Amino acid sequence: MKRSELLIAAFCFVVCLLIPLVVRADYQLQVLFRVFLFAAMGLAWNLVGGYTGQLSLGHAAYFGAGAYAMALLPRLGVSIWFALLLGIVVAVAFAALIGGVSFRLRGPYFALATIAFAEVLRLVAKNLPNVTGGDVGIQVPPLFTHAINRSFYLSAVVLAATAFGITVWVSHSKFGYYLMAIREDEDTALSVGVNTARTKLQALFVSAGITALGGALYGSLFLFIVPDQVLSLDISNEIAIVAMLGGAGTVLGPILGAVVLETASEVFKNVFHEAHLLIYGILLVVVVMFLPEGIVGSVNSWLHRRRAAFAAAARTQARRTSTP
Amino acid sequence: MCGLDAFFSALQAVLNGLLTGALYALIGMGMALIFGVMRIVNFAHGTFLMLGMYATYFIFVKTWLNPYFGFVLAGVLLFCLGYAVYRGLLRHMPVQSDFMQILLTLGLALILTDAVQLTFGADYHQINIPLVAKNVHLGSHISLNAPWLVSFALAVVLGGAMYFFVMHTMIGRAARAIAQNRYASPLVGINVHRVQAVSFGLGVAGAGIAGGLLLPVFYIYPTVGDQFTLKAFVIVVLGGMGSIQGAAVAGLVLGVVENLTSLYWGNEWALAVDFVIFLLVLSLRPSGIFGSQRV
Repeated sequence: MKRSELLIAAFCFVVCLLIPLVVRADYQLQVLFRVFLFAAMGLAWNLVGGYTGQLSLGHAAYFGAGAYAMALLPRLGVSIWFALLLGIVVAVAFAALIGGVSFRLRGPYFALATIAFAEVLRLVAKNLPNVTGGDVGIQVPPLFTHAINRSFYLSAVVLAATAFGITVWVSHSKFGYYLMAIREDEDTALSVGVNTARTKLQALFVSAGITALGGALYGSLFLFIVPDQVLSLDISNEIAIVAMLGGAGTVLGPILGAVVLETASEVFKNVFHEAHLLIYGILLVVVVMFLPEGIVGSVNSWLHRRRAAFAAAARTQARRTSTP
Repeated sequence: MCGLDAFFSALQAVLNGLLTGALYALIGMGMALIFGVMRIVNFAHGTFLMLGMYATYFIFVKTWLNPYFGFVLAGVLLFCLGYAVYRGLLRHMPVQSDFMQILLTLGLALILTDAVQLTFGADYHQINIPLVAKNVHLGSHISLNAPWLVSFALAVVLGGAMYFFVMHTMIGRAARAIAQNRYASPLVGINVHRVQAVSFGLGVAGAGIAGGLLLPVFYIYPTVGDQFTLKAFVIVVLGGMGSIQGAAVAGLVLGVVENLTSLYWGNEWALAVDFVIFLLVLSLRPSGIFGSQRV
């Protein structure tokens, strides 16, 4: 990353931190919380789904792991902040299990296996009422007691900034190039000495950890969770759509995707009260049919083509002037 | 006597399982044609089933046509929808990959589900036909619900027809040829897109027909199909990729396993067992029970 880009990123971060000085309404802060929360989780998903090219549709497993750790561990006497961190450990343990099995599968089978794992977790959470409260749900202790919406908003911004920082590092590091090599051709990556199994798992661990923090924040803001909400396919889909819409495998994509998707979803919720998933479907179809690289990816390739065209024009010009 | 009772309740569960399983087989065979043979990843299969249910329901409410006849119309409608989805969307995706197919069909599933919800509301509906209350008794211990017996018979016939279509008709052969080699099949004169569109339509019609047959014994609501999407994938993988008869057997197996799970562990674990079977098959025997191809 160039110094100028770093400065812009730092400036944006500070602006985001200052937003609560202007926006004070609870509803608006909650919408913004959702935007940054899903930006963070979209960035996390992007490490696996975008850079590594492994379409996980079961990230609800990690989201739910974080949320349920946040709800259950304080009952055992663990302090809530420690529970937040232990949620990461639980999610990484799940990731080790899920990744260990699913990463041996390719293409659609990987996606199906991740869904199956998330669904098994949802059903287990539903069917063990003594532990998880079952369908009725369970209370989650609040992380913050003062200026609740502002504090949660700021935590989401910090989480998104962390995820952004990790993504920037990944996109320029050797680790990131390993991931992209796996995406382009896993067998070739293996043949040139990339330990693909380990690399994929490492990416999933980071992704699961961030997603778990997202789940814990979400549960703690709403104070109550049920399996059909935090472990649902809808959460998995929403996380994936955020990244795909903005542009999988780009640094800025998931952030832009979260802004567009969450804004559109709020508007839709106010217009059609029941059918707010319609917008997800429409955006998915639009992405696949018209923007397969996502918004950021499409803009990037358009800029690339334009630059190439200018360069070609300049070359022709130069050749013309040099020949007598 | 206690042991005999246990035996009869197990036998009852197995028979019920076979009756449910026949419809699973029909759903699974549709998916086997779409996913197993043509390798199109269809995340909207359950949504098409739901549309089949709503179509049959609507026909029943408007014309009082019995669902056991109405399902034919639903099948025709769903065939047209599937054909149109392939022609209009799947064929024209700028990037052809399974990744994109998943996202497209997932998006389509969300759109169709919410469109139904906006049109008909999220309420539960049910139809009342006299057949539902009838039971057939076999001896003093076993009784089978009449609508399930009817749907079993119809599913066997339709499943047989689908098997015949895939294995013995020109279009079925062409679909399998495309699965074997996408690039060589046009060279021998196969119109790839037409064959794929027809096969996709038939697979979707299979789901829609199964929906119509399920209508008398199910409540309907817009998200009723969701559980069947994953179930259809489970059936195809269990039966072995590309194997139509494998999917049929896997559907029956799944029906029996679910019913036995319900009997011994409770209804709420039946779905979880599906997924556990799925994960075990994927990780231990990826070619499925009857398949020869690796997934």
